[in-house]
Amino acid sequence: MTPERWQQISRIFESAILLDNEARAAYVANECGRDESLRVEVEKLIESHGQASAEKFMDGVAAEAAASLLIIDEDEQRPPVLTKGQQFGSYVILDALGAGGMGEVYLARDTRLDRTVALKVLSSDISQDKRRMQRFRQEAKVASSLNQPNILTVFEFGEVDQLTFIATELVDGETLRHYLHGKKLKLGEILDISIQVLAALDAAHEARIVHRDIKPENVMIRRRDHVVKVLDFGLAKVTEKRASTMKAEESEAATEVKTAPGLVMGTINYMSPEQAKASGVDERTDIWSTGVMMYEMVAGKIPFSGPTTSHTIVQILEKEPAPLGNAPAELQRIVTKAMSKDPDERYQTAKDMLIDLRSLKKRLDVQAEIDRTSSPEINVPADDANLGSQKKRILVLALIAIAVVTATIFGINMWRSRTRTNIPAASQPPAPVPERTLTYWITVQKFRNGRPYQKPFTQPGEMIFEQDYQIRVHLRSPEPGYLYILNEGPASTEPQYVVLFPSSTANNGSPFLAAGQRVQIPEQSWFEFDRQQGVEKLWLVFSEDAVAELEAVKQFASKRTVGLVTDPEQNKAIQNFLSTATPMPAAEKSETLTTLKATGKLLVYPIRLEHH
Amino acid sequence: MARTSRQHEITQLLAEWREGNQSALDELYPLVYDELHRLARRYMSRERKGHTLQTTALINEAYVRLVDQKNVQWANRSHFFAISAQIMRRILIDHARRQAYAKRGGGAQQVSLEEAATVTPDVSAELLRLDEALKSLAAMDPRRGQVVELRYFGGLSNEEIAGVLQVSENTVTRDWNMARAWLYQQLTGSGAN
Repeated sequence: MTPERWQQISRIFESAILLDNEARAAYVANECGRDESLRVEVEKLIESHGQASAEKFMDGVAAEAAASLLIIDEDEQRPPVLTKGQQFGSYVILDALGAGGMGEVYLARDTRLDRTVALKVLSSDISQDKRRMQRFRQEAKVASSLNQPNILTVFEFGEVDQLTFIATELVDGETLRHYLHGKKLKLGEILDISIQVLAALDAAHEARIVHRDIKPENVMIRRRDHVVKVLDFGLAKVTEKRASTMKAEESEAATEVKTAPGLVMGTINYMSPEQAKASGVDERTDIWSTGVMMYEMVAGKIPFSGPTTSHTIVQILEKEPAPLGNAPAELQRIVTKAMSKDPDERYQTAKDMLIDLRSLKKRLDVQAEIDRTSSPEINVPADDANLGSQKKRILVLALIAIAVVTATIFGINMWRSRTRTNIPAASQPPAPVPERTLTYWITVQKFRNGRPYQKPFTQPGEMIFEQDYQIRVHLRSPEPGYLYILNEGPASTEPQYVVLFPSSTANNGSPFLAAGQRVQIPEQSWFEFDRQQGVEKLWLVFSEDAVAELEAVKQFASKRTVGLVTDPEQNKAIQNFLSTATPMPAAEKSETLTTLKATGKLLVYPIRLEHH
Repeated sequence: MARTSRQHEITQLLAEWREGNQSALDELYPLVYDELHRLARRYMSRERKGHTLQTTALINEAYVRLVDQKNVQWANRSHFFAISAQIMRRILIDHARRQAYAKRGGGAQQVSLEEAATVTPDVSAELLRLDEALKSLAAMDPRRGQVVELRYFGGLSNEEIAGVLQVSENTVTRDWNMARAWLYQQLTGSGAN
């Protein structure tokens, strides 16, 4: 761009942003005349201006945004306590990952269970500090008592050579605080994150644990699949009874931890009115903080914020937050309810709020679908690809609907058993068979008015759908191995997959099948597919070893994503894997089932599903 | 005292630089860099969890420590802030580079955990990208580049920037709006030419 052009653009831009929308368009059009590219440049810049303002882009000062860079650098100057390759109890140190307020974090190998963990070692001077030790111990104790996919898993807490350590699962990701920075979250994303946070809280609350410090800094988003992990149960308290308020002295002690002189442990912006007043704290405090966090995700700013701590507290106690202008009314209602000053007027449990959010999400998805498909039905669809992608969405919605219901009914316990029964790699039975065999059959159930109608029947091989058919898939193999089942919608430009197996409801969530073990998916209900014409596929992948390329799909198999792979990169990766897989296995069809045989360790086979 | 002579030296260098002696800046730069860096780290270790690094307060402290207050002129102060903004930018970029390099060189998985979670590679990557974009901006429009540097890296208010650059506050506001919109476009890729 020439400096002249730049000056020209900036002159029009500067005047234009002072005008209201209508006058602005006219002004820009007039100023740019026939220079179309000039107009485009100016308009893009005006739009960026709007977004930059809304997102508070560069609103602060660089050193604040990048303060962590200065911290880590300082920590690097201190030699780490442990060095690479060093044996530490049953762990081998692989690398130093960095340092936090409590000590050093290492990447380490647990030699007993042969898994890689994050090992947080408390620095020796802090070990002397009773208060911090207490916090550290508590964090470990509380977190390890919770077993939920959205809560960071604590493997071990112990001491080696007088160094206290905590071993946890590895999470490669960023905090919601950082994720929010300079990014505009989409509504769907806001709902996904909030739903996962609430699922974590629901599990914690069920165990009578109140987190008490829910804020974006304590919510981590895993990079590869956007699974949310709630961190830092260091301030969490075990409540006396479910839904009962903590005793006054307990809560005072808690406040003291928070506000010990010279040590501000966190921001007060997410603090509930009852916390601010240092009165009784219970589960509903977490509901409040989640509401504040949701408000921030929607509005791009926190609802209560004053120049000083006392100003902020006054706002928390007295001020009603500004309405969330553009958000759907139902979302506003949910957030407002969560942020009621009076705990009795809030959601009383995380589960209630979770249910409202899930049904909102479902409704928005359906609405989006209606919006998308209503017009093309009147206009003749331009091409098959277009039609395909619409069909795909309907299928996906049907699956979501089923899975949401399933997850709501069976979900919580299933997720727990799933995490517990993860089969460690070491226990795989060796099976050096150069041939893979997989037998499958499909049960078809006819439905009428949403209820099963007539007896289900079984059929092998390909599937031709008639109206109101729903299916189950059954599989079995004489060999042990890892099974993955993916549904690929009718051909469209962007591949999209739904993970049917591993699932949160079948086989305890594990992809591993023992020799001869029969699985039925879904375990509790039926798969409903869309009713428009077209062909889609059910990909069966059965492998001697866990399939690295499909490891990530396990995450989608769980409750929240209900199988739908949303990341386009991920979908492409799956498509790549499936399309480059070994030659088609031989298929022998009997009257009731199909047996697939492939040479090698990997079997990949697409079952055709036709809709008429 | 060593400090007194250093104060004197820096005051002298500032005056020389203001009078157009560029080599004075070369001498000034490392002195201010060291002081700001030291202060920034001290501030950060004091407020590890708070993450509020008050840039202006920091530069002010550096100024008070480095510059001989008896022979001070206001112009000196604004010049000191201008150069400090530049130096803060350098300090942060240096750190970001080092961190990005360590991540690549160390071959470590980019893992975050709990407190370490706030230290994500994106901070450094974003900052480096912003720095690059800011260089392009300054090449096209040096004044807007300076406005961004003073405000974002130096933590100066629009009023202070107006004083440093000898323009009206309105001009600073306009420059900032345009510069920020353009940088946003560059960083989000929404305005690729």
